Formats: sequence, structure tokens, C-alpha cells
Amino acid sequence: MTTQAENRVETGTLIEVRALKTHFQTPRGVVRAVDGVDLTIERGKSLGIVGESGSGKTILSRSIMGLLPRYGTIREGSVSFQGQELIDRSPKEMRGIWGREMAMIFQDPMTSLNPLMKIGKQISEPLMAHLGMDRSSAWETAEKLLRDVRIPEAGRRLSQYPHEMSGGMRQRVMIAIALACGPTMLFADEPTTALDVTVQAQILQLINEQRRERNMSLILVTHDLGVVAGNTDEIAVMYGGKIVEKAPTRTLFAHMKMPYTEALLQSIPKMDQPSHSRLAVIPGRPPDLVNPPAGCRFAPRCAYARERCQVEEPQLVAAESPQHVYACFYPVGSPEYLERKVELSRRTDTNQGGR
Amino acid sequence: MAGTGKAHLRPQGEAILRVEDLVVEFPVGRTGLKVNAVSGISFDVLRGETLGIVGESGCGKSTTGRAIMQLPRPTSGSIVFEGTELTTLSGDAMREARTKIQMIFQDPISSLNPRRKVREIVLEPLAIWKRGTDAEQGAVVDRVLEDVGIDPQRAAESQPHQFSGGQCQRISIARSLVLDPEMIICDEPVSALDVSVQAQVLNLLEDLKRQYGLTMIFIAHDLAVVKNISDRVAVMYLGKFCEVASSDALYARPAHPYTNVLLSSIPVPDPEVGFRGAAVEGEPPSPVNPPAGCRFNPRCPNAQDRCRTEEPAIREIGPGHFVACHFPLHGGEAPVSVRV
Amino acid sequence: MMTFLKKIRRLHPTTLFASLWLGALTFLAIFAPVLPFVRGYGERVKGAGRFKFGPGADFLFGSDALGRDMFARCVYGAQISLRVAASSIIVGLLIGGSLGLAAGYLRGWIDRVVSILVDILLAFPALIISILIVGRFDVLQANNEAFGWLTRTWSITFVLSLLSIAPIARIVRAQTLSLSQREFVLAARSLGAKNGRVIFREILPNLIPAMTSVVFTGIAILLVSEGGLAFLGYSIKPPSPSWGLLVSENRERLQEAWWATIFPCIMLFVTVLAFNIIGDRVARRFDIREAAL
Repeated sequence: MTTQAENRVETGTLIEVRALKTHFQTPRGVVRAVDGVDLTIERGKSLGIVGESGSGKTILSRSIMGLLPRYGTIREGSVSFQGQELIDRSPKEMRGIWGREMAMIFQDPMTSLNPLMKIGKQISEPLMAHLGMDRSSAWETAEKLLRDVRIPEAGRRLSQYPHEMSGGMRQRVMIAIALACGPTMLFADEPTTALDVTVQAQILQLINEQRRERNMSLILVTHDLGVVAGNTDEIAVMYGGKIVEKAPTRTLFAHMKMPYTEALLQSIPKMDQPSHSRLAVIPGRPPDLVNPPAGCRFAPRCAYARERCQVEEPQLVAAESPQHVYACFYPVGSPEYLERKVELSRRTDTNQGGR
Repeated sequence: MAGTGKAHLRPQGEAILRVEDLVVEFPVGRTGLKVNAVSGISFDVLRGETLGIVGESGCGKSTTGRAIMQLPRPTSGSIVFEGTELTTLSGDAMREARTKIQMIFQDPISSLNPRRKVREIVLEPLAIWKRGTDAEQGAVVDRVLEDVGIDPQRAAESQPHQFSGGQCQRISIARSLVLDPEMIICDEPVSALDVSVQAQVLNLLEDLKRQYGLTMIFIAHDLAVVKNISDRVAVMYLGKFCEVASSDALYARPAHPYTNVLLSSIPVPDPEVGFRGAAVEGEPPSPVNPPAGCRFNPRCPNAQDRCRTEEPAIREIGPGHFVACHFPLHGGEAPVSVRV
Repeated sequence: MMTFLKKIRRLHPTTLFASLWLGALTFLAIFAPVLPFVRGYGERVKGAGRFKFGPGADFLFGSDALGRDMFARCVYGAQISLRVAASSIIVGLLIGGSLGLAAGYLRGWIDRVVSILVDILLAFPALIISILIVGRFDVLQANNEAFGWLTRTWSITFVLSLLSIAPIARIVRAQTLSLSQREFVLAARSLGAKNGRVIFREILPNLIPAMTSVVFTGIAILLVSEGGLAFLGYSIKPPSPSWGLLVSENRERLQEAWWATIFPCIMLFVTVLAFNIIGDRVARRFDIREAAL
């Protein structure tokens, strides 16, 4: 598939997602996991998709890549990669793209590697299948890749099995496999959640380096706002299957508009807070994706919601700059928001006074 | 880092729990090797205090929590709770002592019996110890369930899998409270929960601690979470303590290089700070074969010859601030130690 | 009632079929003596001898050499075969289950002893052992007054129970081992529960799904085993119409009186299939629930 490589864009739009919906048939009903998402990813840029469990972020990344089971899945909308429409391609047709142009790193390194296959073989497979290498050159390239991902004693490691390595090392191997054929698009689905914090920093550093060297685009899916703050150019916040706010990273943190984003940020304990600080809490639970609430999906849990939020669903509108969009009638900083905020602080004051 | 150091322990008799020279080792199959999960640590907890134990996977923090409960019995060491030595208690006496120390586990759903109704699960401890009449037991259970924010009616009709992760954790907490214990050991109680749910549970634990007059040991790998809920924090690495200090002091002036590494690795949700890069290379070695001298020396950016041969003892470098390091980040080089 | 009907409709067609079949069979087996359309299994009808009647209105499955109603014989055969299979599996479950539970929870020397016992039991070739034991018990019954009660029914039940113990012990031990590692068991112990309480209130309720599936699949296997032994002449003696016996009885007349052999075969086949389906469904239903946790 060398023609694909020749057609590669070096800058500009790599992936364009329009009105993507992904629904699942279940005995309980149709689960609307992703319910209308628009995204654009440029070559060499990184996008963070942030959300809690049930927000649809993992399904979104797999849907874009086309990795979902066909049976029981309904996909609508458009996903175009380098100008080619992917949404209605069969897995057979997608196989030329998987590994070659797009690759994914998964969350749990223990279960994502084949326990019965040597590491070297697992890395060589995509090289031989996609790039047509013969076994010895594939093995050599595999060793080089292991060194790229900073695994010591790379040569020896090629003949090892996954269970002989630690979690952090397995994750590096997964990255090596993903990078083997030099894809232009890397999906990282909670790549560091299962790892210790020091190893997490190492892995993130590795992903950043490789991304810059290879001019790869990155979609980083995570629930950790700290991880996206330092590692992405743009962030999309997901809730209830939709994107509720999207902005360049700096803009998002400096001028966030969605009360959800703000609440999420406030509920994280931070190192510079004194101990025993009360954490801001988002009451309630994520919405039921089979029967999502009418109106804004976050309204039932939002401290700033009013009547309009319960009946009408807010659409994405632009903030000060066109790259920053959000979906809220009474965003952070609006008069209604400030009014409610005063009410709330008065209420907590009386509560604490009464204690 | 030496566990034989006890400089950070408070005078005998003040603490509700006093652990000395705790060692827990597990045999590895029949190879004759052993996993040195906990290699001689000492600590104490005052009544009403929350002690946080923080460290990465494999450091032995969970094992420490379970060892206090004698599940399983530690290899050696002394654990004195309210004046009673726990390690030598007989089976029955130990079971009795367990009513005063309760534990909350990491996986909320796995720690509840999937086949039983939730209210039954919370009632179980009272049933085991036959505390009060049926009516009295029921009243206690209902009250505790309401305290943690679970509807008692729903609890009577539903099984654990019908609740969310956060709710299951609350049910676990309720179960641990019905016997009105003195101390609760929380083993990674929020690690498996979403961020917003985590905040709910942490606030709840703080409230309940006040309401029920509890002492807590909070074990976790997330330093920010531990800092938020603890009065005092002990940092653990490969079976030993590195540093013990009040939570604010630990953050403001970390003394041990490992503590510093942990702090620098935490991703900060502020793009101005951004990604600070990996603070340390490599991964913790296997607890089967820990390094000689200071256990952190192979990865420590400040390691020197002395660190490779001599295990540092815990010593005080500031009020209430103790560290086990020859060359801490502040506090001066450790004096040449007398034979320990 | 409405929710019950709704539940029925949601069942997979094969499960529905299997349940209906087993339900009908059980009904027939229990009420056979009082049902008007079921003759006695030994009753010889005049003029029906020598396979006079093929399957028809009066003789549903035809008549056999002695004029007996094949349908009646099949129904009573169900009674006999099911009774033997069910009692054997229950005994196997009680003994094997207890051994497995003790071994899996208490570990240590109990585990080692039980495992060795199970290995020994599993090492015996089932068919040979069955034949040997049944033969021996025959001799015992014939020559010894005290063992007069030791009919073939008892022998067969004994043998089948014995053969069920080891596999069941293995399965229960494996399940118990994995359950013991779960945190809710640790939680129960940390609450001060004694071993007995933990086993009965925490472990046992979680074993029930696996055991139910074992019971159903086990009955299926034992039905086949009994059938095999009957075919060889080592099961319950004629004129008691166990299915295996029916199959072997008239097999030489397959050409002219196919109904006398084929119908018992079909009965056996469909019943075993039904039990397997139910056993599999039960296993899968409880597995999914575990997976959802």
C-alpha cells in the first residue's frame, strides 16, 4: 500500500469527524453511547478527550478508528481520513489502514498483549504484514523500536514473553507495536491509568517525544485533567455521549465556560490545597444513555441549571474565539451563573454556620 | 531507608495504634525465595488522627494495612492497639479485636457478596456478633445507611450489581461502621472511582470521621488524594518508609528524593505548569531481591557511595518531620550512625 | 401472570423447547400410573404381540414382541432412568461438593488429601469399574441374605454416584478457590466471622449457579451412562424398561419393527439434549451476571 504513504499529508487536516453517532442494541434498549460528535484533527497536533466513565470517550475513539463489533452497532455520520470516507468500510477494507496509518494504545497492558507470543514476534507481525518486510529485517526493526521506547537490553527482550515484563514495560512494548509501521494517527485510550504515577510520567514523555519526531497526530482519551493539561494542544470535554466544550488547552483552563468542566476541575484534590480542604462535589450519577434526559444532559446534576436547561438541548456555540465552543445556556461568567453562585455561597455559609 | 528507625514514634502510651518493626514476607511458591513485602517499619497513630500511607504498587502499603488486621499474620513485629498486643492474640480474641478495627477495600463491587441483598450485607456484622435485638440491629443499619447516603428501602430490595461503583463503596463504608469501630483502615478506597465520585466519597469519609469519632489509616497511591484527607503522611518504597511528616509539610518541603520524584510526577491540571517530564528512570526493583543499602539508591538522582552500602535510619529534620536518607533535600547529611 | 408470560416470550426458542420437553416428561413420569392413556409397562395386549402394531392412534409408539405398549414402556423408562440419574447426581453433589468446598476453602493438608483422592477416583476406567461393581453386587445379593435388598437399582445408583464424585469435587474446588480470593470473603473474615459462617453465607450462595449447571449437565451424562450400561445388560433387569434396555432389547428387529428401537433412542437423545441445553443456559446466565460485576 505504498500509494497511501505517498498520499500522506504532512500538514493540514488529517481526520474530520462530522455528526458521528454510535449506538448499541442491548436488551434494555438502544444505548446512545456517542450521539453526534464533530471533530477535526490536524497532522502533528494532539487532541485530548476528557470525560468520566459513561461519557462515551472510549467508544468515540474506537468508533473513529472503526474498531467496534459490527453486530449490534449502529454508526451514522462521517469519518474521513486524509479525504477518504471511512464510515462504511468493512473491516477487511480497514485493515490496510489499521496499523499502517492509524494505531491505538490501550489501557491495560496486561491484557492487550498476546500472552503466548514472544514480544519480538508481536512487533514484527505488523511490519511483515503491512510493510512486507522479511523476518530478519522485521526482527531488526523490532529491536530498534524497543530501543526507541527506551527498553533496556532490547535484544534480549525480543525473545521474552509479556508476563516476564512489568506493567510499564509492557506499555512501552504496546507503544512500539503501535509505532511499528509509522502511522500518522495515534489513539491513546487511557494509556497510563493502570500505571504508577512515576511510570505514567515516563510513558507520557515517551509518547510526546515519538509524536514530535514522527509528526504524528494524537488523540489522548483520559479522565485525568492533569494529564491533558500538559500533553495536548486542544481538549474536548465529553458528557453523556456529546462534546460539551472544546477549546485549545490554555484557553480551556483559563476561560472555561461549561459548569461541568469547572465542576470537574474543582472536584480534583490538588497538591497546593491545604489538607482537609472540602472538595467540590458533583452530585448524582452519569446519565442513562438509553433514555437520556430531555434538554441538557448535565442539567440534573448542574448547580446552575434553570428551567430552560431541562427542556431545550443547548447546541455548541462559539465563545470569544471561534476555536472555543461550548454548549450551555448559562455558562461560567454569565449573569445568571453569577447570580446563582452568590445564592449558593450564601447557602453554604448558613450551613456551615449552623454546624 | 531503615525501618529500624523509630525516631518518629511518639512517647509510649499516647497512640491508639503502635506498630514496631513490622515485617511481612511471603514465600514464592517452592523456590525458597521470599517476597519482602514489608521489611521492618514502625509507626503510630494518635486517636482521631488520619495517617496516610502513600507509595506506588509493590511498596507494601496494602500489605501493611492487612497485617494490622492480621490477615494474614505478619512474619514478625509488634502491633499494639489500645494497649493490646494483636500479634499474639488467639483466634477468638483476634476476631473480637477485629470489631474495633474495620477495613474498606479498593474494588467496591468485589468487596460485597454479589448474591446477597445490600441491607443484609450491612447487617451481617451485627448478626455475627449478635449485637442487640433484631429491631435494634435494623435501626442501626438504617441509620448508618442514611448517614452514607443510601436509601435503606432500596438497600433491602437490591443486590450490589444494581448500584454504581460509588454507591457500592458507600455501602462498604456503612458495613464497616455498624459495629462502631475505633479505627478504619482504608485500602485504596477511591482508586477505582471516577473523579467526581471520588470527591463525594472523600468528603463523606471526612464527615463520618468527625461524626463517629474515628481514627483512620488511609492507604493510596495518589499523593494528592492522600494529602487532602490525612493529617500525617508516610511515604513508602519497597517495604520501607522514606519520609514521615504532616501533609502540608510534606508537600511544602519534601526532604526525601523519592518524595520529590512522586510530587514531580503528578500531572497538574494547569497548562501553565504543563508537563514536567519524567522525574526518574526505570521502575522499582522486585521485592524478592531488594537493593542493598538504601533501597532507592539505584534510581536516586542524589545517590552516593554511602547510599549503596549503608541503610539510612529515620531521623528528625524538622518539627514532626522525619526522613530516612543520608543526603536529604534539606536537613543536612545524616551523621555517621552507631551500630543499629 | 403477565410478567411471567413476558419472561417466557423472552426465552430463546431452544430453551423454551427444552423446558417444555422436560416439563412434559416429568409430568408423564410422575403421573404415569394414573394416566388413562398410559398402559402398564408390563401389560401384554392380546393381539398386539409380535410387533403387530406400528406407531398409530392406539399404540403411539407401536407394540413390541410381547404385545406391550412401547409408549408406556418409554414413559416408565423415563421414570426409572431419571430417578437413577437424579439421585446419583445428588449424592455425587453432596459428597463431591463437600469435599471440593473443604479443599478449596481450608486448603492445607485437607486440600492435598482430597486432591489425591480425586485423582485416584478419576484414574479408574469408568466402564470397567461399573461392570465390576455391578457384577460383584449381583453375586453378593444372590449369595448373601443380608444383601437381599441390593437390587440392580441400588447397584447402579451406587456406581453412578461414585463416578460423579470426582468431577464434581474438582469443579467445586476450583470455584471455591476463586471465590475465596474475592474481597468480600476477606471482608467477612475481617468482620470476625468464623469459618463456618463464611462458608455458608458467603461462599455457598455463590456456588449455587455453578452447581445448578453441573446438576443439569450431570444428569444428561448419567442418562447416557446408564443407557450404555443397560445396553450391555448391566443396568436394571427386565422387565423394568430403562431406556438403554429398550434400545438393546429389540435392536435385532430393526428391519421389521423399527419403532421398538428408534423411539426409545429418540426419547433418550432428546432428553439428554434438553438437559444439556438447560445446563448450558443456566451456566451462561450466571456467567454473564458475574461478568457484569
